Amino acid sequence: MANIAKKVSWSSRGDDRGERTPLLNGAEDGKHDRKLSEGAMFHIGRLSTVDLEEEITPEEDIVRSRPKEIPHNEKLLSLKFESLDYDNSENQLFLEEERRMSHMGFRCLEIRRWVICGLIGFLTGLIACMIDIAVEKLAGYKYLAVKENIEKYTELGGLSISLILWAVLNSAFVMVGALAVAFLEPTAAGSGIPQIKCFLNGVKIPRVVRLKTLVIKVFGVICSVAGGLAVGKEGPMIHSGAVVAAGVSQGRSTSLKRDFKIFEYFRRDTEKRDFVSAGAAAGVSAAFGAPVGGVLFSLEEGASFWNQLLTWRIFFASMVSSFTLNFFLSIYHGKLGQLSSPGLINFGRFDSDTVQYNLYEIPLFIIMGALGGVLGALFNVINYWLTIFRIRYVHRPCLQVMEAMLVAAVTATVSFALIYSSNDCQPLGQDNSEEYPLQLFCADGEYNSMATTFFNTPERSVRSLFHNPPGTYNPMTLGVFTLAYFFLAVWTYGLTVSAGVFIPSLLIGAAWGRLFGILLSYIASSQSIWADPGKYALIGAAAQLGGIVRMTLSLTVILIEATGNVTYGFPIMLVLMTAKIVGDYFIEGLYDVHIKLQSVPFLHWDAPPTSHWLTAREVMSSPVTCFNRVEKVGRIVDVLSNTSTNHNGFPVVIHTTENDEPGKICGLILRSQLIVLLKHKVFVERASSRLRQRKLQLKDFRDAYPRFPPIQSIHVSQDERECMMDLTEFMNPTPYTVPQETSLPRVFKLFRALGLRHLVVVDHENRVVGLVTRKDLARYHVGKDGLEELHLAQT
Amino acid sequence: MDVLTKFTFVIACWAVIFITVADCSNDPSEMSGDSARKLPSVVIPVSQTSTLGSFYSLSLSSLFPEDLNEYCIELLSIYRQRYVTYANCLVTYARPVKICQNCYTDFNSLEDIYKNISSDHPGPGNVSCHDSLMRSDRLMLLYALFNQLDEIWRSAACKQCLTKEQEALSNDTVYFMATLNQSLSCFEQYQKNHSELCKDCKASYKKLKALYGRMDKNQTLCIDLEDAMNITQQLWSKNFSCLLPREETVPVIAVSSFMLFLPIIFYLSSFLHSEQKKRKLIHPKRAKSSNSLMNIQDKFN
Repeated sequence: MANIAKKVSWSSRGDDRGERTPLLNGAEDGKHDRKLSEGAMFHIGRLSTVDLEEEITPEEDIVRSRPKEIPHNEKLLSLKFESLDYDNSENQLFLEEERRMSHMGFRCLEIRRWVICGLIGFLTGLIACMIDIAVEKLAGYKYLAVKENIEKYTELGGLSISLILWAVLNSAFVMVGALAVAFLEPTAAGSGIPQIKCFLNGVKIPRVVRLKTLVIKVFGVICSVAGGLAVGKEGPMIHSGAVVAAGVSQGRSTSLKRDFKIFEYFRRDTEKRDFVSAGAAAGVSAAFGAPVGGVLFSLEEGASFWNQLLTWRIFFASMVSSFTLNFFLSIYHGKLGQLSSPGLINFGRFDSDTVQYNLYEIPLFIIMGALGGVLGALFNVINYWLTIFRIRYVHRPCLQVMEAMLVAAVTATVSFALIYSSNDCQPLGQDNSEEYPLQLFCADGEYNSMATTFFNTPERSVRSLFHNPPGTYNPMTLGVFTLAYFFLAVWTYGLTVSAGVFIPSLLIGAAWGRLFGILLSYIASSQSIWADPGKYALIGAAAQLGGIVRMTLSLTVILIEATGNVTYGFPIMLVLMTAKIVGDYFIEGLYDVHIKLQSVPFLHWDAPPTSHWLTAREVMSSPVTCFNRVEKVGRIVDVLSNTSTNHNGFPVVIHTTENDEPGKICGLILRSQLIVLLKHKVFVERASSRLRQRKLQLKDFRDAYPRFPPIQSIHVSQDERECMMDLTEFMNPTPYTVPQETSLPRVFKLFRALGLRHLVVVDHENRVVGLVTRKDLARYHVGKDGLEELHLAQT
Repeated sequence: MDVLTKFTFVIACWAVIFITVADCSNDPSEMSGDSARKLPSVVIPVSQTSTLGSFYSLSLSSLFPEDLNEYCIELLSIYRQRYVTYANCLVTYARPVKICQNCYTDFNSLEDIYKNISSDHPGPGNVSCHDSLMRSDRLMLLYALFNQLDEIWRSAACKQCLTKEQEALSNDTVYFMATLNQSLSCFEQYQKNHSELCKDCKASYKKLKALYGRMDKNQTLCIDLEDAMNITQQLWSKNFSCLLPREETVPVIAVSSFMLFLPIIFYLSSFLHSEQKKRKLIHPKRAKSSNSLMNIQDKFN
């Protein structure tokens, strides 16, 4: 850190760019900087037209080589994020352990995997059930209190007091949730789906799968949904499932400092990530009652590391989770054993008689899909700018809490104002589908139609938009509601509260979809053809959600499963397809936008197109810090303690006499392994004494996982620094290597398919010339002017 | 043979339905004069022929070897009578709905005879009429007819207004009707002046509403009370237009705009006073050759 600070001060001395005019000029300053940073962005064109004779002006060289500060933007890669070690290190210890393990032992491992998956499903379902009940209770109390107050003041006068009461109640709930998130665990903010996507992609997001995160997440979700924000509880469920999976599979919690001494074999990234994908699937399954959708979600997000047996296990976890939720909810609702509520959200049954669709409606559905794509893109663009603003200016926790409270208060205000000014009165339904009907100024026996959409938890609103009979809403109400809710939802996503975007998207879509359906029946002469606006609400919801999140296969299946209607599969697929195509024309999906804004080195499905001319030589980092097969402890400690080069993998080379010449590769060793070795003082000089002790086993490495102690905490005396360490036994003797001429897409494929963390680049004599890591690959992306390169930055 | 049996029952069915309608129409007290006059002209020819004897002669019963025994025929005839009475009652009190108050005795007797038929108790002569009357054909008419009426009774939730054995109106119902009548008489009193009415009848109307709300919670409401309440509410809100005035728009707008103003202040102040978050760029180590390559390309751009 000190090193970097020094560099910064040096840069600001250089020219006026470094100077910061404080306060009032902030805006101009930001613009100025952004322009500069874009100018300094490396635009890589085609080689064929490059004029090689062009001289390099010294100023530009200085600009490039000097560390500098820029405002946060999307074109950065953070150093904070590291890769998961998905690749197995086949060192001698590993081989020994495998030899020792009997056939029975492997059988037991397999059985344990199944047990863990069952547990993951069970616990995830239980958490979903808890969230559901808590939200229902809290929101129930809140709405009852507000309703009573409104009824009282409608008669006596003084409705502004009810408005204030509602706003204060909302803010209070949200404040508690936001305080917990902002001060205790900022990773729990948002829906958690971007984070899980990154984790499944192979990026280790700090603290994302800890027990503390889970607790804050669940608590935060309950608060924010009960606080009436335009959010849902489905996204966080996926995160919760993933955390449960990571926790259960390790058989211990480092947050609680409890080790149950079970499942020790699974304490490494490879196994953990497989279980996390099962957990994410279980989360989806519990959230939407969509077990198959859950499996497909994991497949879609983590597709590169996959096998059939794993799929089957994940499906098992999904089913168990759905069943558990179902079972406990049936107990809660007093209908033990009646397993009819499979998910947190229940879209209700679409009765196939009343909501058939016809061939001639398919073009209409496609139009709706395109509309959803456009609206979704608009959502993402607005949210993108808002998020950049938040990262730059609203980064202090207390400010974040205040912002969340303000949003809650404004949500209540807008809702109240719209309900107050609405003249749309509808007779009470016979089956009392409205939980909290508000009469306000309507005639007795009627209720305010606007209130059914606003004065309710978002899920119930979605359901009433899907299923209320035609004529329940008038078009004006729906139009105003869509507009207001759209902006509220845009504004809400990205706040420092844990909350998902699924339900608000569905709600917006359902509202304009229903509006679309109603307008159709106005246009058409015969009413009977376009009888039910409910199905247009469903299609609109699908279009809007698809336009915002841009998920494809899994979302289609999730929606089919959640509505329980396979006949809608085709239209839903068409709509999601259209929405994705149209939306992608403008901007990426919301989750991808947020991943980018968090500067995560995310590897997409393929290398950027037109990058075949880039070879490993240009991509790699060089020179590489290598260790000799038998290395001096002092050097290892020095290299590991160097904060400016936070390297994680070190090629091990055969010792060469000349210092400059790179050595021949014979293995790869990880920082974590070295730290464990240093901790146990596995030095050559102590070999004799070590014989008396226990020999180091793979178990010792697993025990330290996943939080290896930092190098500073390991004390190495001056004498020990002179000792030597033999790495032969512990290094991975067969790391993946590529020649220098390998093209970028080829390297990319290796990374994506094998889940590599380090790829050694060698010359024709097998000498180490460079090292490719995830960040070297993730920095290339296709911008407006062809290939662009992202900057590495400290965040 | 089968076809013939079916035919018999279809005839029987028609007959029963027509009798029902016809009998209802014979009670003109509750019908509007217009429809009462029209209906008989359609129905009379059938109802004239549909005496018990005549439709047995129509169906050529003598051809069947296993004839219904006397006991079952008797049951059937009782069923017919009670069915007709009950259906008659339902239609009579259809609008405004007063079926629960007026038809419960008829329903009870119909239910009795239905239970009697459907029970497997052998009557005199050791015959069970259950099979011969109810289950000997596809249509299962007696069952279907009763089921429909029972469904109506259940969806009307009449049980909730009656005592346990369905013998009398429950105390709650009686009390509610009394309260309702108070309100209605108040309405009548002020028929001329609506603004007076809204003021003076408010107390009794509010009492009625509160009572209704309580009964709704206790689930002691049936269709009669709901309908009566509905009509009263409509009288109150629509006919007399005793709506609550929307008179405090100004404070609501003031509070709302204050609330909406807050975020603007918040964002402006955080924009102006908060330190912008900066990222420190790090320059990765690259091979010499690649660096120069980059420079060349960058230059070109």
